Amino acid sequence: MSVKIEASEGGMPHDTMLGIGVVGALVCLYIVYLNSLMSTEVFAFFGGLAAVIALWWGTDSIKTLCSYGLGTGVPSAGMISLGSGVIAFLFASKLAGISPLLVPIGCIFIAAIIGAILGFISDKVLNMNIPVMTRMIAELTIVGSLTMLGFTAMVSGSFIFTDLIAGSVSFLGMEVTSYAASVIGGCVLATIFMLGAIAIQHPFNACLGPNESWDRTQMCALECGFLSMLVVAIMSVAFLSLFAVVISFAISVILWGWSYSEYIKLSKRDAFAWLDSKPIREVGGE
Amino acid sequence: MSALGGGAAGGEGINPTASLIALVIVLVAVAVVFVVYPAALVPLIGVIIGGVLISFGVHFVPVGGAPAAMGQAPGIATGVAMLAAGGGLAGLFGGAWAAEFGIAISLAAGAIGGGLLMAITCLMVNVVYVYAMGIPAASGKVDKDPITGDTFPAYKSQGTEGHGLPFISYVGGVLGGLFGGMGGTLIYYELLQVYEEALPSFLGTTEGMTTLAVSLAGIFAVGMFLVAAVLTAYNITGTIEGPHDPKFKRWPRAVIGSSAASAVCGLFAILLVVI
Amino acid sequence: MEEILFGIGISALAGALATVAGAAEDTESDIGSQGDPNSQVQLAPQMGYVHRIYNKAVSGEPPAYGLWVALAAGVAWALMAIQFNAILALVIGSAVAVFVQGVYATTAYLGRTASLAKFEQPVYIDILKSVTSVTMAHAFVAIFATVTMCFLMIEALGHPFPLPLMGIVWGIALGAAGSATGNPFYGKERQYQNYPFGAGLPISASGDIVRYAEAGERSSIDNGWFTSKGAGPASGICFGLIVFFELWRTILFEPFAAGWGAVIAGVVIIIVFMVIDRYVETWARNTYGPYNTEEAAPEEEAAA
Repeated sequence: MSVKIEASEGGMPHDTMLGIGVVGALVCLYIVYLNSLMSTEVFAFFGGLAAVIALWWGTDSIKTLCSYGLGTGVPSAGMISLGSGVIAFLFASKLAGISPLLVPIGCIFIAAIIGAILGFISDKVLNMNIPVMTRMIAELTIVGSLTMLGFTAMVSGSFIFTDLIAGSVSFLGMEVTSYAASVIGGCVLATIFMLGAIAIQHPFNACLGPNESWDRTQMCALECGFLSMLVVAIMSVAFLSLFAVVISFAISVILWGWSYSEYIKLSKRDAFAWLDSKPIREVGGE
Repeated sequence: MSALGGGAAGGEGINPTASLIALVIVLVAVAVVFVVYPAALVPLIGVIIGGVLISFGVHFVPVGGAPAAMGQAPGIATGVAMLAAGGGLAGLFGGAWAAEFGIAISLAAGAIGGGLLMAITCLMVNVVYVYAMGIPAASGKVDKDPITGDTFPAYKSQGTEGHGLPFISYVGGVLGGLFGGMGGTLIYYELLQVYEEALPSFLGTTEGMTTLAVSLAGIFAVGMFLVAAVLTAYNITGTIEGPHDPKFKRWPRAVIGSSAASAVCGLFAILLVVI
Repeated sequence: MEEILFGIGISALAGALATVAGAAEDTESDIGSQGDPNSQVQLAPQMGYVHRIYNKAVSGEPPAYGLWVALAAGVAWALMAIQFNAILALVIGSAVAVFVQGVYATTAYLGRTASLAKFEQPVYIDILKSVTSVTMAHAFVAIFATVTMCFLMIEALGHPFPLPLMGIVWGIALGAAGSATGNPFYGKERQYQNYPFGAGLPISASGDIVRYAEAGERSSIDNGWFTSKGAGPASGICFGLIVFFELWRTILFEPFAAGWGAVIAGVVIIIVFMVIDRYVETWARNTYGPYNTEEAAPEEEAAA
C-alpha cells in the first residue's frame, strides 16, 4: 500500500559517491591483474572489494531513483540493473582479446551505453517522465556490470573471456581442460547474477521508512556486499588454489562480521526502543 | 512487492519523438549486425521479436500487487515482473529441453511451459480465494466479463475494487504465460544458434562446447527477459487486471521500448562472438 | 519402455519434492511476513498499531527464492567440481544459502523496524532470535527440495542447463507459485482475522492487523501454524503440479509426432485446468451468491 517513500537527506552527495564508486572499483579491478603479473591467485578477493564498492554506490542510485515512485517495487530496479549488466559484462570480458587492460574500462563504457538507452526508453518511450531516470538506470547498469565483473574476478581470479570458459577437471590424477567445468560453462554466473540483483536492492528496500538514515543504509549495502563476497569465496574452491580461497574467505568473514555488527549498532541507534521479551507497547501509553 | 505502490508516474499516450528514436535504435542495431556479422542478422531479428513477445505477454498477466493479497483488488498477489519471469523462465526450461527438435517445437514447448505454469497458478489462486477464503471472483475495471458475460458489481465486497481472478483474467494469465515462454525461448534459441556456430571456430574444438553455448545463451536469455519484463512493469505501473484493463491499451509503447531494448542487448550478445 | 518408466518415476519424485518445497516456501514467507502481506506489517505502526510481527522485507518471494536456490545450486556445483559427493554438496549448498537467507532476514527486520521509529515501533530482539531460526528451518526444506529436484532434472532426465541456471529458473518459479497462491490467505485471512469471512478487506481498514492472540500477543510463528493448514499445502500442490505436469508431458509424449506430442498434451492439460477454473468460479457465484441483490434490499427495509 502506498507508504510514502522518503529518502533520507544528508550524507555524501551522490556525485561524490559516483566518483568513489567508479574509481574505487576500477582500482580494485586493476589490482586483480597482479594475479597474472605475479602468476598467483591470492589477489582474487580484490574483485569482491570492487563489487562491494560498486554496490555501495548503486544503493544510493537506487535510492535516488525509487524515491520517485515507480509503481512497482524496489526489487525490479535491481533486476533490470543486473539483467542489463550481465550483457555488458560478458561483452566486455571478450574485449580482452584486444587488450586485457581494456576490460574494466570497456565494461563501464558499454554498460553506460546500454543503460542510457534503457533509461531513455523507460523515461521517454514509456512516458515515466522521471527526471533522473536516464541517468540512474545508466548508473545502475554500470553498477550491475561492475558487480558481475568483480565477483567473477573473485570466483576465478580472472575476468578474461578465454579464462572464464576454460576450467580443469582432475581425472585419475591428471588435469584435463574442460569447458563444462568453467565459470561460464558451469554458469556460476547465474548465482553471481542473483547475488548482485538482491544485494543491490536490499539495502534501500530493507531500510526504507520515515526514519531511514544515510549511514545505516550504506552500512547495510556494505554488509550485503561482504556477505555476497563470503559465499563467492566459498564457490571459488572450484577454481582457485586452497591458499587463495582461504585468504578470500578470511577477509570476507572479517569484513562481514565488522559490517554486520556496525549495522546492528546503527539500527540500535535509530530504533525507537530496543526491547527484549517485552509486550506490545501501545502508542499513547498504557 | 513491497511497501511501495502509490504515487506512480506513467502518463497515457505515446511520445512520438521518443518512439521514433527507439525505432532508429532498432534499425541501427540491425544495420550494425548486417555489416559486421551478416550471419547473425536473422538471430538478432529473432531476439527482437522475442523481446516484443515478452513485453506484449506481460500485459496479459493479471497482477494486483500488494492490495490483491488483502482481497482489495483483483489479480494475483505478487509483482508483475517476477510473476511473468516465473512463467517465462519455466517456459525457457521447456523450450531449452526441446531445442534439439528444431525451432517450431522448441517455441511451442516454451510457450506451453509458460502457459502451464500460469494455468495452474491462476487455478490455485482461485481455489484459495473460493474454498479457503469464501470470496468469489469479481473484476473492478469492467462490469461484465467479456468472455463469459458474468456481471461483477454485485459480487464485489464492500470497500474493495474487486478480488480474485475472473475468467477473462485467467485467460489473460495463460496467454501471458504463452507469450512470455515463447519470447524467452526464442531469445535463447536464436542466441544458441549463434554461439553453436561461432564458438567452435573460436575455440578450435567442439569438446564441451555445447555446455558453454547453453550457459551463455541461457544467462543472456534470463537477463534480457528480466529487462523486458521490468520495462513492461514500469509501463503498466505495477498492476494490471488483464486484457480488459484500460491500461492494456498502453502496450504499443512497451512493445516499441522493448524492441529497442532487446535490439541493443541482442546486438552486444551477438557481437560477443565477433571481437 | 524401461527408460520411460524411469522418467515417469523421476517426474513423480521431482513433483513430490516440488510439493514439499512449495509448502515449506509459503509457510516460511508467511512466518517472516515476506511478499505482499508485508506491506500491512509495514503500514500498521503508521496507523498507530504497534505489533510484534516479523518484517522480512527481503524482496518479493520470486527474486528472493531465485537467489536462495541459485546460491545453493552454485555452491553445490562448486563442491561437486572438486569431487564432493553429490548429496553432501547439495546439503552444504542449501546450508550456505540458508545462512545467507537468515542474515538477509535479520537485516530486513532491523532496517524496516528502525526506520519506523517515528511511529514508536520498537525493535523486539527476542523476535529476531526466535522467529529467524524458524524461517531458516522452513527455508532449508524449501531450498534443499528444490535444488535436489533441479539436480535430478539434469542428472536423471538430461536437461542441458547447468545446475546454477536451473536453480535460478526454478527458484523464481517457486517464488512465483508460492507467493501467488499463498499471499491472499495470509494477507486477508490471517492478518485480518477479525474482519468478516468471505469478503475482501475494505481498503479503509488497511493497517488494522490482528496483533493479539487468544492469549497474549500474536507471534509470527503462530502465523506459520495457521497458514500451514491452508495456503502452505495449496502452494505445495500448485508448484508440485507445475513441475510434475511439465516433466510428465515431456517424457511421456515427446516421442509422439516428432515432438509435437508433448505440445498437444500440454494444450490439453491447460484446457482441462481452464475448465476446472471455470467450474470453481461458477460454483462460488452460485453457492455464495452476490453480496447485495435487488431482492435483498427490500427485505432489509421490511425488517427495519
